[in-house]
Amino acid sequence: MRVHKVLTIARRDYIATVRTKAFLFGLVVAPILFGGGSIAMSLIKTKPDLKDRHIAILDRTGLVGGALAAAARDKNERDLFDRKTHRQIAPRYVFEAIAPASDPKDQLLALSDRVRRNQLAAFLEIGKDALRPSNPIEASEETDPDTRVSYYTNAGGIDELRNWLNGPINDGVRLARLRQLGIDIDRNRALLAPVPIEGLSLLERDERTGQVREARKRNELEGFFVPFSVAIILAMIVMVGSAPMLQNVTQDKSQHIVETLLGAASPFELMTGKVLGSAGVSVTSSLLYVIAGVLAVNALGVAGLLPLGIVPWFYVYLLTDVIMLCAFAAALGACCATPQDAQNLAIVLLTPCIVPMFMLVTVLRQPNGGLATAMSLIPPFTPILMLLRQAMPGGVPAWQPWVGLAGALVFAAATVWAASRIFRVAILMQGKPPRLAEIVRWAVKG
Amino acid sequence: MDAVEISHVTKTFASVTAVDDLSLTVPQGSIYGFIGPNGSGKTTTLRMIVNIFYPDRGEIRLFGDRRPETGRDFIGYLPEERGLYRKMTVQALLEFYGELRSGRGVEAEVASWLERLELAGRASDKIETLSKGMSQKVQFIAALIPEPKLLILDEPFSGLDPVSADAIRSAILDLRRRGVTVILSTHDMAVAETLCDYILMIFRGRKVLDGTLASIQDRYGEDTIRVTAPGGLSGVEHLPGVERVRDLGQVQELRLTRGADPQEVLRALVTQAPVTGFSLVRPSLHDIFLRIAGPAAEEANHASA
Repeated sequence: MRVHKVLTIARRDYIATVRTKAFLFGLVVAPILFGGGSIAMSLIKTKPDLKDRHIAILDRTGLVGGALAAAARDKNERDLFDRKTHRQIAPRYVFEAIAPASDPKDQLLALSDRVRRNQLAAFLEIGKDALRPSNPIEASEETDPDTRVSYYTNAGGIDELRNWLNGPINDGVRLARLRQLGIDIDRNRALLAPVPIEGLSLLERDERTGQVREARKRNELEGFFVPFSVAIILAMIVMVGSAPMLQNVTQDKSQHIVETLLGAASPFELMTGKVLGSAGVSVTSSLLYVIAGVLAVNALGVAGLLPLGIVPWFYVYLLTDVIMLCAFAAALGACCATPQDAQNLAIVLLTPCIVPMFMLVTVLRQPNGGLATAMSLIPPFTPILMLLRQAMPGGVPAWQPWVGLAGALVFAAATVWAASRIFRVAILMQGKPPRLAEIVRWAVKG
Repeated sequence: MDAVEISHVTKTFASVTAVDDLSLTVPQGSIYGFIGPNGSGKTTTLRMIVNIFYPDRGEIRLFGDRRPETGRDFIGYLPEERGLYRKMTVQALLEFYGELRSGRGVEAEVASWLERLELAGRASDKIETLSKGMSQKVQFIAALIPEPKLLILDEPFSGLDPVSADAIRSAILDLRRRGVTVILSTHDMAVAETLCDYILMIFRGRKVLDGTLASIQDRYGEDTIRVTAPGGLSGVEHLPGVERVRDLGQVQELRLTRGADPQEVLRALVTQAPVTGFSLVRPSLHDIFLRIAGPAAEEANHASA
């Protein structure tokens, strides 16, 4: 293999790609999507909808609703205004007691209609036996509606009201139960005061000084947002970098450019040059994504949470994945007769990115579970899933990234080798695309 | 040392044998013309010389070297299916191909060839803005930069107007004078007759003719009478000793059977039609081509099969 030929092809493809309108558009849009999206989220968080939230309470016990209304008043007094600026920063919760009607279904339907008309944010139905203490294990199962509190709403996504209600409802129920037992809890309210729970990182010893480092505060961004974003960014760059290769090769083939190129460079040099060109494009766009990511975490005020130690891993995985997928794309593209054929195969090409996407939530829940570990050691999925696990606060055992990387590199090398054999045979074929059995035969026998 | 030595090369695609036990020697500094019907194996042979296809059997040596990979550095190749990056400028595209082959800058050579083929004014234009003829000339230049030792041209004149064709013919002859070996395929028998030092005819993957035009014609002897009959020969009945009559419009060619006497044919002819010209000639390459691959030959082959 002559290096100058590979580099000449890589340089041409790189320049041709980065000068396209699609790439330049992506360059502008990607940071806006990532950075701007995060900033928008941050702004939304600081500028919530301040409209009053009306909640109807259908209290069949007659003993809990009052406690809820009192809790809402406390919350409104405490959280409604910023103490320094005196500007309203949270919506007011307004409870409305509803007397039970003779026909429960009609009443629930009428309340539902009020929610649909946006007159209510939600309504609660407190079962008539809700004060009867129940076995906690049984309570988690499907229970008798009379013993539970039902929360009706059409709110989607994250429902802050429901999250908040959990505390006041249970406090109200407990207070009512204690009153039923004759305990004067009103004079000892502090007994029910919640104890704050603070999430902290693990303690660690500084290898240089030998001193134990204090645990630091952790928040949900560290455990979820950062690793999730890092994995998504990697997957997007890999997909954006490798998918055009399929079209690129098919286009060169259908426009008869490839035969002229093969007059000057071997199929392996041609394919390697194209793969390197795509890798260069990916690294270029990754720099922008990374910059956008840094801007985003700065905007969110969590820059300190960025696990900088994984940046080298990010680039190693990025190059491994892009080379693997681009070689695969070159082989698939060589087998296609028209750009339409290539479009149909795009989903096959992107499988190593799509499968890890479906695994993200599973891995985030149990990053060191058996399934997460096994999937992250399967070479095509290693770059995205192992990086995701490495970016999580607990990290992974030290050997796993190295074993995963070794597997991914071997797999990438095997892909390049097999792809070059397929590419060599298929690139000049015209007419009907080859069958899978033929492609496999070319890969094995050349 | 010969530029190309092909020894018993066979290439098969699935059940089709595209090239069958082909042997050939191309002397350095010569122009070798490949002729043959469509699908006869010309392009496959050229692709094997360039090392785009690998022979299933046999061996190809370039300038005595068996290592095929090195060949690409000194071969200029113009494929039959033309294709250029449409979004690149003429200058950038030619520099790209030149650098790809040589690994060095080729600006001066690009400028020189653009000037010679009257494309200097279009150097900064994108390929997509060029006419078909201009694109063909650009692709021809791409095969010449840097100057190759071996130039392989698959149908170099197809689709060219006479002015462009003449410019390319002149360039080919100039390269030959500078010692470049040229192998070209063509369907134009006049090009093969007038431009090529040697002619190879491939038919159904096998070599059926190989040599200089004179040596090929010698194999057939002076078996053709070329006559000028102002009214044509359409009314002429059976002529003894004539195997086939070919009307070219202004002249007609009569192919004689083996041992036929041309004088007797002439005597029989003048009794049926006015004749103003008569000459005994060797068969043209076109005629030889048809004798091998024309419909009559096909019928004869079927009959004998």
